[in-house]
Amino acid sequence: MASASVAAPEAVKRDEDEALDQARTQQERMEQLYQKCAEAPEGTVFFQRDLANMAIANMQELVVILQELVDRHLMKIMQFDGEPCWKVRTKEEAERLRKLTPEERLLYHHIDQVQADGIWSKALRMRTNVTTQMLNKCLKSLESKDLVQSVMSVKHPNRKMYLLKHLRPSEDIAGGPWQSEGEFDMPLIRIVAEVVEKIIEKETCLEVPGNWNDYPRAATQDRSAEIARKKAQQKEVMDIEDTPVRTFRPPRDPNRITTVLRDSPKYPTATSLRDAINNANIIKDKSLSVADMEQLLEMMVLEGRLEKIMGNNYRLASRALSTQENFNGFVDAPCGNCPVFEICSDEGEISARTCVYFGEWLDTESEAV
Amino acid sequence: MSYAQRDTPILAKLCTLLVEDQYGELASRIFTVLARHGRQTLPSIVRASYLNSRQIKYGLIVLIQQHLVFHSSFLDPTTTYYEIDWQQAYSLVRYGKILKAVEDRFGGKAANVMSNLIALGHTRIQDLREAYFPPSDNNSDAGSDSGRVNGKVNGHKPNGTANGANGHNNGHSNGHGEGEEDVNDLTIQSEEELDAIIHHLMLEGWIIRVDEIQYLSPGDIQGMVQREVLGEQHDGKMPSGVKAKEQMVFEINSRKRAMRDDWCRVPKCNSRKRLASDPDFSRTTKRLKQGALEWQPRDANNIVMLESGLVIRTNPEKISVALRTEQLVHLVEQRLGPVTAKIYEVMLRLMETTIARAYEPYADPPPSDPDAMGPEVQDKHLVTAQDVAKKLDKDLDILDGLDPYHVVRLVEADTRVRYDTTNRQINPPVDPTTLSYQTRTKVIDCHIRRLADDPFHFTTWHSRAGFSQWHVEFDELSKSLIQHEIETTIQSRGGDRGPLGVKLIRALKKKGKLDERQTCNTMMMPAGEIRQIANEMAVQGFVQTQEIPKVERREAKHSIHLIWYDRQRAREKLLHDTYKGMIRILQRIAFEKEKVRELLNKAERSDVVGNEEKWLSQDELSVLRKWKEVQDKLLLQLLREDDLVATLRDHTGPLTSP
Ligand code: SF4
Repeated sequence: MASASVAAPEAVKRDEDEALDQARTQQERMEQLYQKCAEAPEGTVFFQRDLANMAIANMQELVVILQELVDRHLMKIMQFDGEPCWKVRTKEEAERLRKLTPEERLLYHHIDQVQADGIWSKALRMRTNVTTQMLNKCLKSLESKDLVQSVMSVKHPNRKMYLLKHLRPSEDIAGGPWQSEGEFDMPLIRIVAEVVEKIIEKETCLEVPGNWNDYPRAATQDRSAEIARKKAQQKEVMDIEDTPVRTFRPPRDPNRITTVLRDSPKYPTATSLRDAINNANIIKDKSLSVADMEQLLEMMVLEGRLEKIMGNNYRLASRALSTQENFNGFVDAPCGNCPVFEICSDEGEISARTCVYFGEWLDTESEAV
Repeated sequence: MSYAQRDTPILAKLCTLLVEDQYGELASRIFTVLARHGRQTLPSIVRASYLNSRQIKYGLIVLIQQHLVFHSSFLDPTTTYYEIDWQQAYSLVRYGKILKAVEDRFGGKAANVMSNLIALGHTRIQDLREAYFPPSDNNSDAGSDSGRVNGKVNGHKPNGTANGANGHNNGHSNGHGEGEEDVNDLTIQSEEELDAIIHHLMLEGWIIRVDEIQYLSPGDIQGMVQREVLGEQHDGKMPSGVKAKEQMVFEINSRKRAMRDDWCRVPKCNSRKRLASDPDFSRTTKRLKQGALEWQPRDANNIVMLESGLVIRTNPEKISVALRTEQLVHLVEQRLGPVTAKIYEVMLRLMETTIARAYEPYADPPPSDPDAMGPEVQDKHLVTAQDVAKKLDKDLDILDGLDPYHVVRLVEADTRVRYDTTNRQINPPVDPTTLSYQTRTKVIDCHIRRLADDPFHFTTWHSRAGFSQWHVEFDELSKSLIQHEIETTIQSRGGDRGPLGVKLIRALKKKGKLDERQTCNTMMMPAGEIRQIANEMAVQGFVQTQEIPKVERREAKHSIHLIWYDRQRAREKLLHDTYKGMIRILQRIAFEKEKVRELLNKAERSDVVGNEEKWLSQDELSVLRKWKEVQDKLLLQLLREDDLVATLRDHTGPLTSP
C-alpha cells in the first residue's frame, strides 16, 4: 500500500525545492500538499514520512496542515500497523461532508471505519448511541447525499448493511463472484454459463453433416444386403404397424448437421473450466474458485443444460425436454393445461360438454351455457 | 396391495364410464353399486340398485366372465360377496394395446387368438378350438360362448372381433385397409396351429391358467393365506413378537407369490410326432418368428397338444411390461436417437419373456444390509451385444449417431476408411449392412455403452462372460421415468415459466427442504424471481410448503418458510389429474356422439351399411367423417393418457425416500 507513495515523492522532489520558497503562506502549502496527494493513484495511503518527503512543509508545519485538512474533510486520518496515515478525499466529497449534521458525521465516521465489510444498522446504533429515529433519519440523509449505500447481507438476508458509497461490498456481505449488491448477477451468470456451454460442447461433441457416411443407399450390387432388405420387407408386412416402414434410415442431407457425442472425450471438470474462465478474463476484478465453478455447473445441471456423468465430469445435456413438441398424454390434451381444471366437474356450467377448450381443439361446437 | 388395485373415487368414476361403454347399462349399473358401496352380497345389491335379482345375476355373470368382479363363493358358498377388480376394470382401456403389443411381438395370428380370448374373458381350450373349427355335427358340447364366436373368428383381423362393439381399443389402428389382409393370410389353419400359438403365448407369459382363487379379491386372498399360515405355524393364533410377525408376513408373501407363479406355469403338455398328413404350420410359425423375438426352441417334428379342459385367460399384468418397454424406448429415442432406441428395444424385448409383471407387489422386505447381498440379477435378465446382434434388424443403419472418428476404428477389421475432416465424410463410405458379425457386435456394444452412460442409466454393466453382460435396473429407471413425466408436465403447464418450475423441482429434489436463501443459492437466482413460481407449484400440488415460526407471536415476517418436493405426493397428484383428464375425454366423446346420434343410427341401419353413398347426403357424409375424426383424436389422446398412467402407477411401488 505504502509503496506507491514512496515512489511519488522521489519523482517530484527536485521541482519542489522551488515550490518551498514560493509557498508563502500556510494556506498555500496546504493546498499544495493536497494537490500533490490528490495526484497520486486513487486510494493511496500517505504516511507522515511520505508527506514530509514531498518537501512542502517541515514536520511542525505538516502537523498543523494535516489537522487543518482533516478538519476540512479533505483528508482522512487512519491507522495502519499502529502508525497514523492519511488518505485524500475529493473536494466534492469534502464539501458534502462539511454540510453534515454532527450526528450524520458521527455515523459516517463509523461507517467509514468498517470499510467494505459494512455495518449492520443495529450495530451502528449500539456504537453511536443515537436514537433509532435519529439513526434512520441520518442514514436516509446520508444515502440521499450519495455518501453511503446500503446492501442486503447474503449471510443474514434481512440485515441491512451500510458502507461508503464508493466501496464495493466484500464477499462476506455481497456473496461470491456471482453476486453483486447482494443479488445474483443474472447477466454475468448468463454470459459465463454460455461460455462454459461452448467449451464443453467443443470438448465433448462433434458436428457431422447428414451425408457423413454416404454409402450407396440401394446397395443393389451387394447380395447380402439385398437379402437382408428382402427379409426386412417381408417382416414389415408381418408387423402391421402404424408406420409402413419401420427401419430407420437417416436423411442424407449434407446441410442437416447433427451433433454427436465424441467417443471417450476428455470431459471438462470444474477445475479446468474454472481456469478457462479465469484466463479468459470474463469476470472483472474477481477470480473464480473451484467451488464457485461447481456452484455454476450444478445449477446448469438443474437447468437441464448439462449432465453430470461419471463422478465429476460434465457433458452437454441431450435436448430432450427443450425441443420436444409433444409432452405427455395428459398435458397435450386441453384439460392438462386448463386454467379451470380444478373446478371443472362432471356436469354443470364448467364441464366437458360446455368446454370451450375442447371446442377449439376439436373444432366442434360445445354446449352453450 | 398393488397400486393398480387401489380404488379412489376418481378411478371409480373412470372405470364406471369404461364399463358402461363396453358392456352396456345393466352391467354398469351393478358396477356402479359395487363401486359406491364396496363389497356387497347379492341381496344388498338388490336393495341398492332398483334392479331385480334376475337382472343382477345376469349382469354379474357378464362382469365375472370378464373378471371385472371378484366373488368369494370359493371360500363360503352360502354367502357370496362381490367386489370390483379395479385393475382389470381399468385395463378395459388397454385391450387395444394388448393386441397391438402381441401383434408386434408375435404376429397377426397370435393377436387374433388374443383378441378372442379378450372377448371371452376366459375359455376352455376345447371351447376355443370349437369356436375356430366348428365340429361338423351340431351335437357338440360347446357352450353358448363358442356359438357366439363361431364363424366370426377366423379370417378376421383381430381388431374386428374383440373390439367391434367398442371404439376405444381400435384407436388409430383402424386405418389398416382390407387389402393388407389379402396379402397376409391370418387364418389359423388347424387346431394344432391354434394350440401352438396358445402354448407359445403361455411360454411368453401373455396367457395364464385360470384358477378359482383368481376370483377372490386381494383382501380375501390375504385372509385365506393368513389363516393357512396361522393354522400351520402358529396354532391358529396371531403371533405376538415382532420377529414372529415379520416371519408371518414373509411367509404370506412368499405363498402368494408361489400361488400366482403357479398360474403362469405352462402345464406340461402332450406332444406327438408330426405326421405327414398334418398341415405344416411350422413354416408359418417360423415366419412369425421373424417379427417375434424369442420363440421357445421347439422340436419342429413334434406337435403340442394342450389339454382340452384347460381354462385360460390373458395375464392382466403382462401388458404393463410391454408398456414399460415402450415408454423407455420412446425416451431413449428422444435422448439418444432412433438407432440406439431400436437396439434398446431389442434388449428389453429379450428380457420380457421372463418378466411376468412390471412390479412385484408381494416383494419381501428389502434386506437390512443390501450391500451384503451383492447385486442380485437373475441370469435370464442379462443381455449381451451378441444377443442383440442376432435379433436386430439387419437393415438398420447402426453407424448413425456415432462419432465418425470412432467409426473408423470400429470398422477397421472389415475395411480401412478414414474420416476426411474437410468435407466431413467417411472415405470410402461404409455400408453398415455389409459389416461382419464381429464388427456389428462391436458397434452395437458401442450403442449399449451410450445407454449405460446416460444419466438415466438405461442399462447397467453386470459382468463379463466372454462379452459384457448388461442388465436393466427397472425399479430405478421407473422412478426416473416418473420424475421425467412430472417434469414434463410442469414444463408444459408453466409455459414460459415452465423451465423455471422444472429447475425448482430439481433443486428441491436434490437438496431436500430449503429456506428461501438456500433456494436462491442453489438456483443462483434472486428470491423475487423464484417466489411466484414456487407459489404456482404449491397451488398445483407439486411443491409442499411449511412455515416455522421463530418468534412467539408467529409473525409470518419472522418465520422461516421452507419448501420441499415430495415425489410420491407429486406422483399421486399427477395420477389423479390424469384420471380426471381421461374422464373428461370420455365425457366429451359421449357428448360428441350424442350430437350425431340420429345420423349414426341411420348410418348403422343394415340397408345403409355398405351403401352410404347412396342413402346419405353429402352433408351427412361429411358430418360422419368429422365425427370419425373427432372420435379418433379423442381416443388417441385417451390412450396416450393411459401411457402416462402406466408410467406413474404400474411400474414401481410407493416412493418413500426423496
Ligand atoms: S373439460 Fe374443458 S373446462 Fe374441463 S378441465 Fe377439461 S379443458 Fe378444462
